[in-house]
Amino acid sequence: MKIGRRVLMLGIAGLLAAPGWLAAQAREITGTVSRSGSGEPIAEATVTLVGTTTVARTDAAGRYSITASGDARLMFRAIGFTRREAVVPAGQSTMNVSLDQDIFRLDEVIVAGAATSVERRAATTAIAVVGGEDVAKVAAPTFESALNGRISGVNIQSNSGAPGGGIQMQIRGNTTVLGASDPLFVIDGVIYSNTRINGGRASAIAGASVNEDDPVNRVADVNPADIASIEILKGAAASSIYGSKASNGVVVIKTIRGQAGQTRANVSQRVGTFDLQRKLQSRNFQTIEEAVDVFGEAKRAALAPYFAGGAPRTYDLYEEVYGRNAVSYETVADVSGGTEQTRFFVSGTWKRDEGIADNSGFGRQGLRVNVDQKLSNKLDVSVSSVFNRSLEQRSFANNGNAGGTAGYALAYQPNFQSLLPGADGRFTEVPLTGYFNANPVQTNRLSDNNTETNRFTGGANLNWRAFTNERQSFLFTAGAGVDIFNQGDEIYTPPDLFWEQIKARPGTASEQAGVSRQANWNLNGVHTLRPSSGFVTATTSFGVQYEDRQLKITRVSNTNLIPGQSNVNRGTTPVAAEDLTRERTFALYAQEDLMLLDDRMLISGGLRAERSSANGNIDKYYIFPKISGSYRFSDLLGQGSQLKLRAAYGETGNQPLFGQKFTTLLTPQFGGVNGFTLSTVAGAPNIEPERLKEVEAGFEAELFRSRVVLDVTYYNRNTTNLLLNRVPPPSSGFTQEVINGGKVQNKGIEASLGVTPIQGRNAQLVTRATFTLNRNKVIELPVASFRPPNAGFGGLGTTFVEVGQPMTQIVGFGFDEDTVRIPTQMRLGNSAPDFRIGFVNDLTVKAFNFSMVWDWQQGGNVINLTQFLYDDGGNAADHGSPDHAYRMKGYNSGVMTPYIEDATFLKLREVSVGVNLPRSFANALSVGARDVRLSVTGRNLLMLTNYTGLDPEVANFGSTAIRNNLDVGPFPPSRSVFFNIAVGF
Amino acid sequence: MKTTMNRRLLGLGLAGALALSACGDFDVPTTNAPTVDQLSGRLALARTATGIMSQANTDMAGQIQQWGIYGREVWNLLGNDPRETGEEIRGPQDAAGRAGGQWGGKYVALRTINAYLTAVGESAELSEAEKSAARGLAKTFAGYHFYKLAVRSGPLGLPIDVDRPIDADPAPFVSQQAAFEHAVSLLNQAYTDLQAGGAAFPFTMAPGYTGFTTPSTFATFNRGLVAKVQVDRALLAGCGQQCFQAALTALGQSFITTAGLPGSLTTGVYLAYDGASGEPTNPVSEPLTALRFFMHPSLEALVQNQANASPDLRWTSKVRRIAEARTFANLTSDLKPILYNTNTATSSVANLGADIPLLKNEELLLIRAEANFGMGNKQAALDDINLVRVNSGGLAPSTLTAASPDADIVSELLYNRLFSLLAEQGTRWVDARKYGRLGSLPIDRAGDVVHPYMLIPAGECDARGLSVPCTPLGN
Repeated sequence: MKIGRRVLMLGIAGLLAAPGWLAAQAREITGTVSRSGSGEPIAEATVTLVGTTTVARTDAAGRYSITASGDARLMFRAIGFTRREAVVPAGQSTMNVSLDQDIFRLDEVIVAGAATSVERRAATTAIAVVGGEDVAKVAAPTFESALNGRISGVNIQSNSGAPGGGIQMQIRGNTTVLGASDPLFVIDGVIYSNTRINGGRASAIAGASVNEDDPVNRVADVNPADIASIEILKGAAASSIYGSKASNGVVVIKTIRGQAGQTRANVSQRVGTFDLQRKLQSRNFQTIEEAVDVFGEAKRAALAPYFAGGAPRTYDLYEEVYGRNAVSYETVADVSGGTEQTRFFVSGTWKRDEGIADNSGFGRQGLRVNVDQKLSNKLDVSVSSVFNRSLEQRSFANNGNAGGTAGYALAYQPNFQSLLPGADGRFTEVPLTGYFNANPVQTNRLSDNNTETNRFTGGANLNWRAFTNERQSFLFTAGAGVDIFNQGDEIYTPPDLFWEQIKARPGTASEQAGVSRQANWNLNGVHTLRPSSGFVTATTSFGVQYEDRQLKITRVSNTNLIPGQSNVNRGTTPVAAEDLTRERTFALYAQEDLMLLDDRMLISGGLRAERSSANGNIDKYYIFPKISGSYRFSDLLGQGSQLKLRAAYGETGNQPLFGQKFTTLLTPQFGGVNGFTLSTVAGAPNIEPERLKEVEAGFEAELFRSRVVLDVTYYNRNTTNLLLNRVPPPSSGFTQEVINGGKVQNKGIEASLGVTPIQGRNAQLVTRATFTLNRNKVIELPVASFRPPNAGFGGLGTTFVEVGQPMTQIVGFGFDEDTVRIPTQMRLGNSAPDFRIGFVNDLTVKAFNFSMVWDWQQGGNVINLTQFLYDDGGNAADHGSPDHAYRMKGYNSGVMTPYIEDATFLKLREVSVGVNLPRSFANALSVGARDVRLSVTGRNLLMLTNYTGLDPEVANFGSTAIRNNLDVGPFPPSRSVFFNIAVGF
Repeated sequence: MKTTMNRRLLGLGLAGALALSACGDFDVPTTNAPTVDQLSGRLALARTATGIMSQANTDMAGQIQQWGIYGREVWNLLGNDPRETGEEIRGPQDAAGRAGGQWGGKYVALRTINAYLTAVGESAELSEAEKSAARGLAKTFAGYHFYKLAVRSGPLGLPIDVDRPIDADPAPFVSQQAAFEHAVSLLNQAYTDLQAGGAAFPFTMAPGYTGFTTPSTFATFNRGLVAKVQVDRALLAGCGQQCFQAALTALGQSFITTAGLPGSLTTGVYLAYDGASGEPTNPVSEPLTALRFFMHPSLEALVQNQANASPDLRWTSKVRRIAEARTFANLTSDLKPILYNTNTATSSVANLGADIPLLKNEELLLIRAEANFGMGNKQAALDDINLVRVNSGGLAPSTLTAASPDADIVSELLYNRLFSLLAEQGTRWVDARKYGRLGSLPIDRAGDVVHPYMLIPAGECDARGLSVPCTPLGN
């Protein structure tokens, strides 16, 4: 606590240094701020007297009034508009200005510290900003999928095509093997859980581990329509203010808040459907001999009827299982408005995506209330709250070698036998598959794999402008928030299922409750000093932060169920489980920002000192420093151009996971007694956080009056003190040991380019491109090279952590030049892509708007085990071809080379065609609408790839620290088309 | 100005104090499981003894299945994992996959045993006799695990000096001979400890030990086990007559009996399973409709008939033919194991509570036959073989005599071992290795092979900087 007191004293000292303020001959300057082109007034614009702390805001009619003396330089800013400076000569007392739309968000005010912000134009680090309208434009299950192609330096990958998401977002490469690999999500100041809770599917599907349950990540609960902006703090210097939870970057989301003025309302309705995008085919058996060869002589009689008339009739099995096109819809409505004293935003959402498999889908309902209240001139408070309910029905996909998952069973299913039920509704057992008699259509129709989540997230922020004059100000802020959800998972696979019937105890039910509770609060002081010399604006901020998070998961499962009863108590063999994780962190921080040389130069430095219950030493404060700077040149590249150079160094951390410091005992039950045996995991009593150190440098150029904007960043980040799950020699009696050590490097370049080639009164074309390139390398390991947990399946290709290689390398047995197996395992591929490029085009002609988002991934590899399964079952569609012969050569000798495929793809992520109906039409609706917009939108309409599987975006083990592109019968990808009508009042 | 300042300071101070009071305790324990520092005290030690006994069941599914597949005793035709009809029959063996299995679990059990031995030594709550009894039990199982490791790895050897800190260098590999010697040494130490172990163990024995629940009765199990180890050591590790003789000596102190046959054939120690919730369940029992376990079809031709021309009772009681043959990967069988099922003439229902014999009198009789044969006492060997033939198989005594060719006597011995121990421990593979008969095991598909032993797991190779698969002894 000593550090805290010292920081506090520093701030107080700053306050006491306040000089007196100068009296001057003042006058009132008034005017209006409006939108270029339409002339609509802009409310809530800020007008600043440059060089002072004097600020005014416009009212609902765009009017402002500010006191100034002599020649006054005024700066006009408004959210979503490019700022503009104007000089009001002494004697003039009106100034009307119009502001241009800020297409590339250059003037957005973004995060600079725990309690401070900065204009993006001056920012010292690369921070990507995406507007809420971008993520809400085309219907998406979750907002992260709408970020594809829009941001550089971030690799977003879907784990499967199952409804409701399940997406990993990786910022600037793999920094950890075992630690948390997710970015930290902060929504309106509240730390928001993005945990994934495995739903317990493995209790029904023998042969699949819980890590293959394919759950969604819980930011799926966020309603994209509520988002005002998303800021992605990529580098360590930007994210170090979040300490040991920030090494994977931080995603800061602000939700929409009410504006003073006329009350406005928007209602939008979407109706559409999902459609199977790609499918796999089975082998076309021509003769009964071919079939007997696969299914065995004993099946000859059963096969005979199919071949009675020569080559058999065939069925499209993927269409049978995944051919559903049901109506999906989404309704979003909001009302906002208020006065200068009280502003509000209320929104509601009701969404239902029907999946392409029977009994699959995703739904979300939510109600948000945001209120901003001015309590006095010095005090205001803002409150955010949202309640969500989400329902995911994920169906049964991925690995599950006991017949329970569709993709796996389909690999063995000959296409001459239909899976659909007969006219009497009875399912046909599928005796020919040789595969558990599993019928995936029956599985999907009769089983449940449902996840329902109820979630409340709320927080309040209090701002106290304790002291303000022309030269200095002191702001005190306090924030607190909670994020609480209850995720209920229900698994039900009735005893009627063919693959359940062959179990010793047919029928499985599982009920699981995951209760997450996170709370955080912070207190901050911000002192701003502008000495009359005008040489510097010094902002000192300091404060304390506290975070407490807890997740408790309890599960009961049962088998040998009574027919027709999904109740978990209606079996004979209940099994219960409970798991509680808890972590508390306390931190102190101080930061100094110096704006120098006429606001051209910004230097920022800060420190965070943090202790956490997750560390071995709970009393030790770990220090995370940062320093960064930027310098702006004006008109260097032509009149009106801006060039900013920036460089930063920062450190962040990644906390040990709960329980890593303990070596536990297992308690196997035997003879009615729970015995003790040593856990196979050796804990680390002195565990420390991982430490990420990063240097980044870059430039941003604005040319031709901001019509061309280029932003390029190079970074070099090293993670040391890695949390490693060493696999000790099995003869030690441990299968894992937690240690700190080693070093991993990520180097990369990220760039974004924005161009507005057409910008006129009637037409505007905006084109954006993003480029992401990252190279990962293991620099040091304190242990022998090892296979991390969930690395894959033994000789079928696994991730292997080895010095000098990327963590994402895939090793297995390979061929020599004579296609003969090389007896030692070798590098066969790399799951990380070479680079990714996104293109976003947006064309507006009069009332019409057309936009597209393309997403191109070059390189990277997928282990196509689905193909391996088809080959294993003698069921490959290309049976007998040279490709097949090559694969079988690998299959028969244990060589995986033929199954390691290129993951390059080009996807058309989004298409939108829309029209704003004329106001006359809107009026003609007789509901008093202000505007009406119609659009047709599509997501994932096109995928170009040489990958032979369903989708190169695939991860059988879900979200793992080391991206694993394992394809084992995943839920196939779907495309969606929605018709939208949005009405504004 | 100054008063305002002071008031502000006060406000900040109050806020700060409030903030700190809202911090919770940072010493957050885990409530998910007991931790290793709780492994002391009489009750905790008793639970650890239960744990040690439960870990004796480790790898049984793997042993029955995988050794059975290697030795053409059983097949797994489920088709869910290509390794069961590929790697295990056709090769190549995968050190990171199946061929590297049946290793780690035993060392996990050994670590618990070593932690237990340390805690017992330090315990103030146990008497010296109780400590001795506890050590006797723990070391018996340590010897048992090392024995199985020695059989699985054959000439590749294994590490035995494994009771070391986790950050120490990996334990060195020793030869198969040294590993057998180590197993025998542990079992002999255990025997000494058990004899000084007083009247009772300081814990309740687990199910499966009926009749062997005191240090002195458990010692008769220990002696049976060492006899088994010595016979395998004689044949696999080249120890020869010295070990056969040691086996015969140990058998004399074991629970072997010829009284009460045929009922006493099943006397012995069992790996206990139970269908009740939370208990370990029999890992290989399954209904006739299950497509997983099948007996190798070559067995049927070996079966000898009783005087009334019906087959060996051991065959009819353990195997049943099903109507529809199962074919997978060009392997076909219609013979299902039913020895772990609840059977009637017309049905066979899976029994998850069926026990698996760890060591039974029937096996001890055959071990004595094997040891006697090894010592050249052929008639004594045939006498025990005939006891089993008559009492277990319902067969007539063998027509072989002490003058018959050795190879014929070995064949007769292995016939009885195979059907007496069918689907219990993969005996066909181990016996074929012991008598150099791997080459005469059936090959079902061109290109298939019979693996002579399992591989050193990839993790051991990695830890020693060796490429996979590795041979740390260089052989």
